[in-house]
Amino acid sequence: MSLELNEVSLEIDRELILDRVSLKLPAGQSLVVLGNSGAGKSKLLEVIAGLIRNQYGRIAFRNRELTPLPPQERGVGFVFQDYALFPHMNAGENILFGLNARKASSAEKSKWLKAVTEELRIDHLLERFPAELSGGQQQRVALARSMVLRPEVLLLDEPLSALDAASRERLALLIKRIQKKYKVTMIYVTHDHNEARFMGDQVLVLEAGKVVQIGSPEVIFARPGSRFVAHFTATRNIFPGRIVDQYDDRRALVEFPGGRLISASFPEAGAEVWVCLRPEHLALVSSETAAGELTGNVGKEPAGANQLNGYRINQFIPQGGVTVLVELEKEGARLMVFSSSRKVEQKELVVGSEVKLAVAASHVHCLPRQPDDIYCQPYIS
Amino acid sequence: MKIYSFSALVTALVMIAGLFFSSPFVALLKSFTIADGFSALLNRQVMMVVITSLVTALLATGLAAVVGTILGYYFTFHKNAGSRWLKTFFSLPLVLPPSAAGYMLLLAFGRYGLIGAPLYQTFSVQIMFTVSALVLAQFFVVTPLMMQAASSAFQQVPDSLVKASHSLGAGEFTTFIKVLLPLSKPVLLAGAITAFARAIGEFGATMMVAGRLKTIPIMIYVKAMGGDAGVADGLSLLLVLLSFTVLMLVNVIGERH
Repeated sequence: MSLELNEVSLEIDRELILDRVSLKLPAGQSLVVLGNSGAGKSKLLEVIAGLIRNQYGRIAFRNRELTPLPPQERGVGFVFQDYALFPHMNAGENILFGLNARKASSAEKSKWLKAVTEELRIDHLLERFPAELSGGQQQRVALARSMVLRPEVLLLDEPLSALDAASRERLALLIKRIQKKYKVTMIYVTHDHNEARFMGDQVLVLEAGKVVQIGSPEVIFARPGSRFVAHFTATRNIFPGRIVDQYDDRRALVEFPGGRLISASFPEAGAEVWVCLRPEHLALVSSETAAGELTGNVGKEPAGANQLNGYRINQFIPQGGVTVLVELEKEGARLMVFSSSRKVEQKELVVGSEVKLAVAASHVHCLPRQPDDIYCQPYIS
Repeated sequence: MKIYSFSALVTALVMIAGLFFSSPFVALLKSFTIADGFSALLNRQVMMVVITSLVTALLATGLAAVVGTILGYYFTFHKNAGSRWLKTFFSLPLVLPPSAAGYMLLLAFGRYGLIGAPLYQTFSVQIMFTVSALVLAQFFVVTPLMMQAASSAFQQVPDSLVKASHSLGAGEFTTFIKVLLPLSKPVLLAGAITAFARAIGEFGATMMVAGRLKTIPIMIYVKAMGGDAGVADGLSLLLVLLSFTVLMLVNVIGERH
């Protein structure tokens, strides 16, 4: 009982937009589709909704074949990035548009209008036209317009991208709550990795129309399957390295320009690898702290084994609120690590000072590297 | 220095163009005398011509509004390999010499024409040289105008609104009636007003199919050639005022939109 896409391909003007996309999303779960602009994320949603016909492959929900059906018969709700509210109708008319199109009875219309608008706290806005609503209010109305039809599948195309930070947070919480409450099968498109982490039971990464990785957010973010996914999920610290020693089937020593670390996620010994270190997994430590004390370590590494020494603080990049991104450098190798703003304010961390870093072996992720892969410095975003 | 010279050149050209374009209007006003003009316009025969023109132009505009809107919709939302050719074909009357258009209508709808002959033989219906022929000729000429207005109106409706409508369960017809038409109303209205002005001023094609019937432009031609300046002046001024009003209306609608 799930939403299934089997080898779905889409070609527009002889350009392959979606390339054999397959996925299986259990009913009631949410899938976040991550990808660059032009990766085919929106087109994937439009194909599922039936707004564009895919030439190849099949789409089914709860074993019901959707592929040949027009959009109005698919039972799929769609929330657009630009809200797509009808400007000549007020909020109430917008919300009732779908029920009117389906010739619902007045009783049904008023029942669902009341239920959904109260749930989304927009019952006081029904007389207003879209131009009189804020971005957040417009997106709530757009969400209500879809939810009032009680769709089995809800597709959201970057619904928060046009909103300010505060509205984005509020609406993200609301969407997640509604999805869980009504057990809607949801596909949510975004290019924001934080949203992906928060919204998805599963995350799918799309690159040039192809699925490059699909899995739980934990797996996608901690164990990216390729350098593209690592980059896209803001791993930030990616170094070319080599597995120099293997202790057992769970631990190996990896060497890279910034130092040596024990990794619990690696290909075979001797392999050329990309060493991926997420900034939030690196800890700025005092010299007494032993790496083995960090949670998530495997086995009993010797004290200091998973520490990186000799890095100097280059600059601080405020992340808003209590977090700051610290850029470190050692012999040309740059590292990004999160720290608290308080430490910077209280001068515990100052530009130019030398620091020590520790990381759990389970957070040192090594990806196979082809010899001709180009070295990329960590980036700031 | 060079900039000033260019600016002076542009100003001079604008003045020359202004003189050229205003000269026919000045000449008309100079020729027109209120007493002669009004007495000519109040003549029963002239009044009938004005009424015929208004009625045929309204009918032709009404028909063109419906057909042109449907054509505009089709060419906006059903793009395929053949639609570009087909759209060009439907736009032909825009650039075709009106006399050629009228002649071709004669060939098609005349008593011995491609469609006219079977119509006459089967139902004893004759189109040419009747009021229907005037409507037909005007309709033929103004429908592409309406089609273009509708096309541009529908293109201005954001794609996501059409997609939203479909995703909410509305079929193509409901989307057309509930979303596209209301959002395109101002541009469609401006298109219809322009089409009406073009229809009432249509001369070449109408002349070919009118027979003894007369519209305002035909009457102006006949009277001007016959030396009856009073009627020609009065009717010309009427058309100038009508055209001016139409353009003003279109501009107002455009600004509001």
